[in-house]
Amino acid sequence: MSDPGVQNVEYRVAHLQDRLAAEELGELGVRAEVRAGAVALTGTVPSAQCRERVLRLARQELAGLTVHADVVVAEATRPDHAEEL
Amino acid sequence: MTIRVAAVGDIHMGPDSEGLLRPAFETLSDCADVLLLAGDLTRHGTPQEARVVAREVRDLPVPVVAVLGNHDHHDERPEEVTAILRDAGVSVLEGEATVVECAGGRVGIAGTKGFGGGFVGRSAGEFGEPVMKEFVRTTRRSADSLHAALKELDQRDCAARVALTHFSPVADTLAGEPPEIHPFLGSYLLAEAIDTAGADLAVHGHAHLGAEHGMTAGGVRVRNVAQPVIRRAFNVYRLGGD
Repeated sequence: MSDPGVQNVEYRVAHLQDRLAAEELGELGVRAEVRAGAVALTGTVPSAQCRERVLRLARQELAGLTVHADVVVAEATRPDHAEEL
Repeated sequence: MTIRVAAVGDIHMGPDSEGLLRPAFETLSDCADVLLLAGDLTRHGTPQEARVVAREVRDLPVPVVAVLGNHDHHDERPEEVTAILRDAGVSVLEGEATVVECAGGRVGIAGTKGFGGGFVGRSAGEFGEPVMKEFVRTTRRSADSLHAALKELDQRDCAARVALTHFSPVADTLAGEPPEIHPFLGSYLLAEAIDTAGADLAVHGHAHLGAEHGMTAGGVRVRNVAQPVIRRAFNVYRLGGD
């Protein structure tokens, strides 16, 4: 039997997304997609602490898999110009 | 005369993000006449998170007008969230309109959370199981209330009218989101309400991976101001008044 961690990677990604939404983060804005056997996480989260929690959950749920984390923290600077409509 | 509308959505505040937006918000009087909040102000819609939002926007130098988002409903206490925000001076709209007096004229804002269903040719129908019919009827009721609020503003001598929603009225501003989930991100019923009642700008959030710019079939400019999309504390749109 093949490694269940690899075999069930799609379901493990789905379970990660369920936990991101259901647990303390309430996070629906992070995408997790399988690319070349690894899992790519992308998205923008509200704080550095949220980013850490996303990565911690990913390490738990996707243990044994390679995870590429491109999760960034939302920027909070004011705009330098307005759009004329 | 020009009306300057600042807007942001999906700020998803919690105790760990308190104070992150306040420095930018305190400069609003330099660049805007009003701040619109396009829903998903919290992560789970708890009173604790709502109080973080309230502290972030209390006593700002410009009026603040908001709609709630789906996250603000998660704890099933939207009335409490609304009350906490109103106590901080925020005008929270759900199927309602408000008018803000600006130096450049009166701006009317009609707001509703909105809901999903999808876009023409790829949308859910009011058919079949009760839960499916209720899904579409929820969106229809929201769109009808938006239409009524915009029509009300038409009678209130506004130089400009803005439709404020959380869910998207158009697919344009969802570009970047997987097409399969568009029915969960917005509904053409909102755009139809905007086009038939008339507006100068439609502002929404919800689609973190979407695009900022879009337009309804009737030619109304649409802006997705989800914070992950605009990558700022807010954006500012200048509307030419009459």
